[in-house]
Amino acid sequence: MNRLSILLIICAIFSFGTISAQKGQKKADNETNEWRYEVEVVGVGKQGTSQVKVWTYSENPETATNQAQKNAVHAIIFKGFPGTGGQQALARNPNIEQEKQEFFKEFFKDGGTFQKYVFLANNGVIGPGDRISMGKKEFKIGVVVSVNVAGLRKNLEQAGIIKGLSSGF
Amino acid sequence: MLRKIFTIMMAVLLSSTVLFGQAKKPTIMIVPSDNWCLTNGYMQVFDNEGKVTKVPDYKKALQENSDLLLVISKINELMADRGFPLKNLESSLKTLEANAAEDAMLMSKEGGELNESPIDKLKKVAKADIWMQLTWTVNTTGPKKSITFNLQGLDAYTDKQVAGASGTGTPSFTAELPVLLQEAVLSHLDNFNVQLQNHFDDMFANGREVILRIMTWDTWDYDLETDEFGDDELGFLLEDWIADNTVNNRFSTTDATQNMMLFEQVRIPLYYERNGSQRAMDTRRWANGLMKYLKDNFEIESKLMMKGLGQAQLVLGGK
Repeated sequence: MNRLSILLIICAIFSFGTISAQKGQKKADNETNEWRYEVEVVGVGKQGTSQVKVWTYSENPETATNQAQKNAVHAIIFKGFPGTGGQQALARNPNIEQEKQEFFKEFFKDGGTFQKYVFLANNGVIGPGDRISMGKKEFKIGVVVSVNVAGLRKNLEQAGIIKGLSSGF
Repeated sequence: MLRKIFTIMMAVLLSSTVLFGQAKKPTIMIVPSDNWCLTNGYMQVFDNEGKVTKVPDYKKALQENSDLLLVISKINELMADRGFPLKNLESSLKTLEANAAEDAMLMSKEGGELNESPIDKLKKVAKADIWMQLTWTVNTTGPKKSITFNLQGLDAYTDKQVAGASGTGTPSFTAELPVLLQEAVLSHLDNFNVQLQNHFDDMFANGREVILRIMTWDTWDYDLETDEFGDDELGFLLEDWIADNTVNNRFSTTDATQNMMLFEQVRIPLYYERNGSQRAMDTRRWANGLMKYLKDNFEIESKLMMKGLGQAQLVLGGK
């Protein structure tokens, strides 16, 4: 086997890996849009932040960890956090996601503005009981993240997506 | 050229004032509930004509209870951060005391004193349009402690609860009471604000909900059942005016006798137009319209009194 063949094989392996990762990310994004994730409150963080555990469905723990941040922000905007210490959704208009589609597409894109308001707790380390096998090719993975709800609310208010408490007065 | 730019800028400013008039902002103040004051021993007891009456002693509570001060300060801080600073109970009480002392000493150059009727004296209390009533209890199970927290937003005029948040926090072995209280505030205030925002949204959509009381002086020759002023009794003529001047004709006549009428759930518009610009409306301004209507159409003199943004009283038959 000459050098060229070896190079081609290496390239193919790398490109396959990249395509597979992209496919996994796209699938995860679709699931976020379809609300296929679960969120539970872990605790009240420092002022204006909430600490939540996000359960994401994925084949790949790395994808799940990244997607958990997006899901947490998605949840607090549209769904709210249930349970003790939970919060209601920031957007009170149930159709806001469709009405402001362009804004949210840009907001939730990879590396989008949403990342400013969420960070992984414990460097994204997944706890021993937080990786549940859901079948041959899928895991349900729980990742703890902190969401800066106060900052996120201000951003959405400034963008005119939600109304501030004193708007109109 | 400069003059042109100035004219254009003025025109833009004026038009934005016309288009985006601002509604009158309700004032909000946090007070500990009667229940909390009673449980913690901050009540004043006095004999009210043979009946023992207990009223909360806010001053004593604020001077002696640091936990209460902490909770009020935390809520004030968070509300200010949301762009809605609150009136502070302690400062209001101090201002009232200082004003009372100053008023007592005030004298004109000619030796005249300030005019003050008994009703003026009665009205010298801390005021707010919405009261945020606060209650918490400490639950102890063995070494564990938890807080049950209850925050109620009460409209001062309609007596309706317009917002609320309550719940019990997670029990803790180690956390101290101030820490548990701060945690309770942080975890409940956002939900409270969601409901408060819903209340404001409803107000912008359907008008401000207020109360109007109509009364009559005993020196007046007529009453509300008199039918000399039009094609119906005066009470019904009053109802017609209210229906014509409320948002979607919304109001309820809660009580009506020959001497008094009580209108509740009266939805008044948030703005009125004057000199081409929109101005914020309050109940006094709105009821002033009724006062003028009675004077212009039926030559009935009346006295208008107000109670904050949301309650007006009109006494017919004189000033």
